[in-house]
Amino acid sequence: MQYLILAGGFATRLWPLTEKRAKPLLPLGGKPVITHLIEKIPFDAPITVSTNAAYGESFQKWKHDFPNRQITIAVEQTRSDHEKLGALGAVAQWITNEHIDDDIFILTGDNYVGFSFSDFLKHYTPGIPLLAAHDIGSKEEARHFGTVVLHEDNKTVRSFEEKPAEPKTSLVSTGCSIIPKKELPILIEFAKQKPDNIGGIFEEFLRRRIHVHCFSFQEPWFDIGSFDTYLQAIIAVLGPGVEQAPDVHREELHYEGTVVIGAHSHVKRSHLRDTVIFENCIIEDCVLERCVIDNNCILKGMDLSDKMLRDGTRLIARKLRD
Amino acid sequence: MRHGVLIIIWLLTDLLLFIALYALAYFLRVGFIFSTDFPFDRFFIAITFVAPFWLIALIITRAFSLMRRQRHWRTGAYIGFCAILGTALFSLSYYFLFGIFFSRLLLVEAFFFTWFGLWLWHILFEKILRTQLHAHSVYPTLIVGVTRESGKLIALLQKEKNPLTPVAILDARGSKEKDIFGVPVKGKLDMLEHVLEEDRITHLIQCSNLEQSLNLLSACRQQGITYIVLPSVFGIVERDERVDRLEGQPVTTVSPKGPWWEWLFQ
Repeated sequence: MQYLILAGGFATRLWPLTEKRAKPLLPLGGKPVITHLIEKIPFDAPITVSTNAAYGESFQKWKHDFPNRQITIAVEQTRSDHEKLGALGAVAQWITNEHIDDDIFILTGDNYVGFSFSDFLKHYTPGIPLLAAHDIGSKEEARHFGTVVLHEDNKTVRSFEEKPAEPKTSLVSTGCSIIPKKELPILIEFAKQKPDNIGGIFEEFLRRRIHVHCFSFQEPWFDIGSFDTYLQAIIAVLGPGVEQAPDVHREELHYEGTVVIGAHSHVKRSHLRDTVIFENCIIEDCVLERCVIDNNCILKGMDLSDKMLRDGTRLIARKLRD
Repeated sequence: MRHGVLIIIWLLTDLLLFIALYALAYFLRVGFIFSTDFPFDRFFIAITFVAPFWLIALIITRAFSLMRRQRHWRTGAYIGFCAILGTALFSLSYYFLFGIFFSRLLLVEAFFFTWFGLWLWHILFEKILRTQLHAHSVYPTLIVGVTRESGKLIALLQKEKNPLTPVAILDARGSKEKDIFGVPVKGKLDMLEHVLEEDRITHLIQCSNLEQSLNLLSACRQQGITYIVLPSVFGIVERDERVDRLEGQPVTTVSPKGPWWEWLFQ
């Protein structure tokens, strides 16, 4: 089986955190989001990470963290959001270019999944497409995802609807699936019509009366697509408390909820709540609530809430006259 | 560079025009002769001595600023204020240098000549300056946000040949428009760094996406770009705001509507 991780998005909703790094390379609990996926993949499995030209170099660098793994970085020659191939288009291009003739395990690089891949693989019946689904408990929220309705056996998919206006269920497809090699021609053909609709391939299989199986899981799952979901994932993965790198300097830090402080950062006389501070930052006399502060920021005397700050931001409040 | 040269020419011509207008007032009052009772050379020495101080006062009013509209009444008022100052300085200088006084009517004439003559020259020179700077896109400007406000602003900047030439637009939510009045929409904010570098942006005007103000400002500070924000970003759309100072701190104020004279005391 071939493992393909899709990491070709430009993550515009997470700008400016994604200005210099791809979304799957955002840190989550001390390591990039994508690393959580890699660690779940069997050690000797070949892995391809499909990305775009803007982030190709940073994935090449990240790959050095895994000298003993078979990781290939496939770079599609796109540099902006309007040029991109689409997720399914990228899969089809990779299958065609690399002459893939094997089952493929597709993962979206910006998803955090709590379940074990060996459990997922146990549910795979060779030749039958398999997708992982999670009950998010809200039909309203389910409108943003592909929804899955199962037969009575709780395994076979009865219907699949991509981003329905009125979902019938809150069981949604996650960024994890297996496409058997015999169905790859259908994928390539479908990708020509709808290159951006990766979930739509399951609708297509069902339309062609091809069985699709579903692996439902209860473990946590986060589709890190926005500031809110990124922060939610960090809070859920780390839990309450301060998570800090060993060489952090902190003095009079008051905190609530989950606080992450990256390497070489200094935090003084500040109150932080559910806030992530990346590396080499200086935070003094600040009140930060639900903020993500990128590398090399200097903040003094600032009160901020619900903000993402770009790399190198310098905000030093001038003192008001007494 | 081009702007710098034009500003130097502007300052020099202002200085020469100020002296010339005083000389004109002299000749109109005294007659086109070199009087021995009221010698021109003394008059010329006094006005040449005063002219640089008058020019400094005019510079301090920011009359030469890129953002200043010369035909606006406020600029006219500043030039008028400096003309009064010039007249006062000239009277004092002449008296201190030569211990005598002269025609009061000449002072009145000189005041009006310098006020209106220089205001007219400023309006003319602004046209030259704008034509030069706009045609050569000396100040490539990035517009952030595709909104009706930003559309109106681009149209106005183009119509008035403003030195700030819009060359690109970014929109945080992604716009279906390909261009606005010929200015290309180059994508979402993830393209910011690329556009700032590629188009050599000197000014950024934020027209929407309030939540990204800090990051846009941060990018501008890092790259030495002037950051401008429209009041509509804060919901101030009636154009009745003003920049004030509250205990020395700059603040934007919107006051309730009332009689015009309240404006002076609010």
